Amino acid sequence: MDVKLTINGEEKSASVPPETTLLRLLREEFNLTGAKIGCDVGDCGACTVIVDGIATNSCLMLAGQVQGRSIETIEGLANMDDYHPLQKNFEDLGSLQCGFCGPGIILSAKQLLDDNPDPNKEEIQDALAGNLCRCTGYTKIVEAVADAAREMRGNREAA
Amino acid sequence: MDENVKTAEREVTLERLREIDDDLRLPAVPEQVSYPIETLIPEARTQTPAVGQRASRPDGRLHGLGQTKYIDDLSFPGMIHAKIKRAGISKARVKNIDVSEAEKMPGVMATLVGSEIPVNSFGPSYQDQPVMVNGTVFHAGDPVAAVAATTEQLALDALDKIKIDYEPLEAVYDPIEAMKDNAPQVHEGESNIYSSKVIQKGDVEQGFEASHRIYENTFSTQMVEHVPMEPHASIADWDGNGRVTLHSSLGRITLGRADIARTLNMPINRIRVIATVVGGNFGGKNEITTEPILALLSKKTGRPVKGVYTREDEFMSSTTRHPFIMDYKTGMSKDGKILARKVRLVCDGGAYCSWSETTLGKACILSAGPYNIENLYVEAYAVYTNKTMTGAMRGFGAPQVCFAYESQMDDMAHDLGIDPLDIRRMNAFHEGSASPTGQVLESVVVRDSLEMAAERFGWQDWNK
Amino acid sequence: MKQKGKGIGCMWYPIGFTVAANPSAATVKVNEDGTATLLTGTVETGQGSLTVLGQIAAEELGISTDDVHVVSADTDTTPMDTGAIASRTTYVTGNAIKLAAEKAKEILFEVAAPMLNVKPSQLEAVDRKVQVKGFPQRNLPISEVALQAQFVQGRPPIGSASFNPPTVDMDPETGQGKPFSTYVYATQIAEVEVDDETGQVDVLYMSAAHDCGTAINPMLVEGQIQGGISMGVGFALQEEMLFDEKGVQINPNLTNYIMPTSLDMPEIDVDIVENFDPTGPFGAKGVGEPTAVPTAAAICNAIFDAVGVRVTSLPATAEKVLKLIKEKRANENKQLAPAE
Ligand code: FES
Ligand code: FES
Repeated sequence: MDVKLTINGEEKSASVPPETTLLRLLREEFNLTGAKIGCDVGDCGACTVIVDGIATNSCLMLAGQVQGRSIETIEGLANMDDYHPLQKNFEDLGSLQCGFCGPGIILSAKQLLDDNPDPNKEEIQDALAGNLCRCTGYTKIVEAVADAAREMRGNREAA
Repeated sequence: MDENVKTAEREVTLERLREIDDDLRLPAVPEQVSYPIETLIPEARTQTPAVGQRASRPDGRLHGLGQTKYIDDLSFPGMIHAKIKRAGISKARVKNIDVSEAEKMPGVMATLVGSEIPVNSFGPSYQDQPVMVNGTVFHAGDPVAAVAATTEQLALDALDKIKIDYEPLEAVYDPIEAMKDNAPQVHEGESNIYSSKVIQKGDVEQGFEASHRIYENTFSTQMVEHVPMEPHASIADWDGNGRVTLHSSLGRITLGRADIARTLNMPINRIRVIATVVGGNFGGKNEITTEPILALLSKKTGRPVKGVYTREDEFMSSTTRHPFIMDYKTGMSKDGKILARKVRLVCDGGAYCSWSETTLGKACILSAGPYNIENLYVEAYAVYTNKTMTGAMRGFGAPQVCFAYESQMDDMAHDLGIDPLDIRRMNAFHEGSASPTGQVLESVVVRDSLEMAAERFGWQDWNK
Repeated sequence: MKQKGKGIGCMWYPIGFTVAANPSAATVKVNEDGTATLLTGTVETGQGSLTVLGQIAAEELGISTDDVHVVSADTDTTPMDTGAIASRTTYVTGNAIKLAAEKAKEILFEVAAPMLNVKPSQLEAVDRKVQVKGFPQRNLPISEVALQAQFVQGRPPIGSASFNPPTVDMDPETGQGKPFSTYVYATQIAEVEVDDETGQVDVLYMSAAHDCGTAINPMLVEGQIQGGISMGVGFALQEEMLFDEKGVQINPNLTNYIMPTSLDMPEIDVDIVENFDPTGPFGAKGVGEPTAVPTAAAICNAIFDAVGVRVTSLPATAEKVLKLIKEKRANENKQLAPAE
């Protein structure tokens, strides 16, 4: 089947078998390997990408379901001038260890901050509840999300 | 310009070419990760002295950008995919394996069974683990056959076409049962107990006699998976010089290479193991898994072969944390000093030894706790059962025995009416204490850690 | 009703293999601009080991973390290493790296000594300079010395070394011996809340004080401790591989094998106990595994403090805790019965 969609702001198309998941479409057709295969059945969140503004497990979506929709992946988060505040704060705090869960977690956090610029700790933990991380205990991840939120609010006020 | 070429025709040709291009919908620019051109160096990384700095990790930045490449993110021209068929039965003799139907499937390029592996055994202490089943299945997650096909899905589909006849054999799952004389034997031999250890210091019986009270408890712990978020993955590429390159999620490449050399019966310098950042290890990626299988499939097909575990593979066939059964008998003085301790540990080793030797040894030594005990006797056994093998996992038996000795410590403190913090302070190792093995301990800070944690917690003033 | 409790878990843990040899080798090359490249056969498995190992090389050479590039994980190019296991990387591989860097530095000192008119033993490497001990004004940038060594004297400042922790065999009958070179110590204290109607246990807070010798990188040490605690919480309360009567696992997936999520994590305070082990690189020991050791003990002791029941088999699931609470109540009623 033919799929047309927008990935990180650019229009793309591909021709794939109908059983292809969005995760495989991204990884295999577009070489965007930031979304990871942790379980392939919707349990771990390693494959999280943002579909029309909603953080979604891409292993649970079929290519056909993303026809005409807009996808944000980890690869599109920074630009040539600057990192996304989440990326910077994750790096500064050493929030990620093996990093395998990282792209998914950062995108779940991005959706949270897009919707709620001033989340409290519980709200951050809630937003990340679907993203498993075995290494970090989530502690420095939650801290970095809070720091990034603060930074983004500061930037907005300054602007 | 060739005068025979008419310009108009040429334009038509170009037009046509453009159409073909559009049909192919070639992306104008290949996908890539975007990141700032200017490289930012975090300040702590540029400071001297380097030790003590909260220096950020270079891979940390790549993680956040999605640039870290794990094994499954790599691919090579012509690469094909392998999948493993698991036994699904915990003890059986394989009467027959028929891969012919699978091999006939379009897209399937090769299959592999245990008898094709040059030296089909490995293991860090005892080489009791086959790379793939060779005659006998020892646990349900054992690999029985492998398929390499042009896509992962085709390889998975082909697994269903492999026909295996099993003759079920008597199995044993409970380590205590397995220790009995008449228990079914997991491996051929006299006993399922494959390792035992003793530590003896002072005279426990005398210690018990001198005790004000004696406490006896039995504790047990469960089997736990490492659950690295990245499942095991490798890519093998056999080249024309008979040299094989393995990209692998293996956490210990030097010893992994030795195991691969053993199983493939090849000199070490013909094997190159390249690892990436491992997506979580915790002891679970310490041993080779499918590397020799993929190497041989690559040899058979002349293609790079990738093999990635499914989450189910990960649970069924990778190593796990040892379940322990722990009997503790401790004699205490009235004022809370440990006078004697006797410990018996039984660890469920599952189907293969793997790192049980080390686990048992560490558990044995650590089982007394960080406390001064003059009279100590510890005996420990590792036992085969027909379950997923247990192996190295963060703590090698220590979390298990710590659960036991610390639980009993609080029971005793409660019974003797002593504060749990005080009873530990009273018994804790100090600089120069002799360990259960008679080693004089240095740089000992048990009490400092107790006091620091208690102060931070607010132990004294804490109210329910 | 929800009942609160506090509980201690205290532990000791060794660094390296039990008696068995577990060597690591390393090579340190100082480049002609004073930066360095470190070759190690260990693999980054997420702990940040490559960062810490780079810091150790940098410290020895008097340069910064960012001045050292670490090459790892390729058997064709990197020296042998027993690997990321047994909490040995910082201590064993770290010691090998320190020794290798020392050798590279010796070459730099031999080259610099005549340039500074002193003996090599009078020199030290500090802040990207080779300088005279006790007289820091007399110094040369390390880049200048390295360039001289490399291009003029033909003595590339490269050092290779290996380290294996010294141990003594254990007597097979009594276990007496020195199985490990060194140990670390730690205490974790948990605060939990137990719902005595459902048996549900919530870990609210954990204070963790860990000894790792010198913390080469405190930020990464904290990360290890927090991660270890999450693994300990799973071990204590949730995780269990279950098998049917035929030995086939019934929960080989993350739907039915429950591990901690962000919602299960307590508030954590980490303290690093100040310590210096003279046998470790710059006093360091290790931290990886011990972080997951005392957590379950602390949690179970806190459950005991909260509701007076002793969990003797892990995991302490809600069903198990509730069953124990009910048994305890039944016992108490029985004891009360004769008085009625
Ligand atoms: S891979 Fe999609 S949720 Fe695990
Ligand atoms: S950092 Fe390893 S899984 Fe999250």
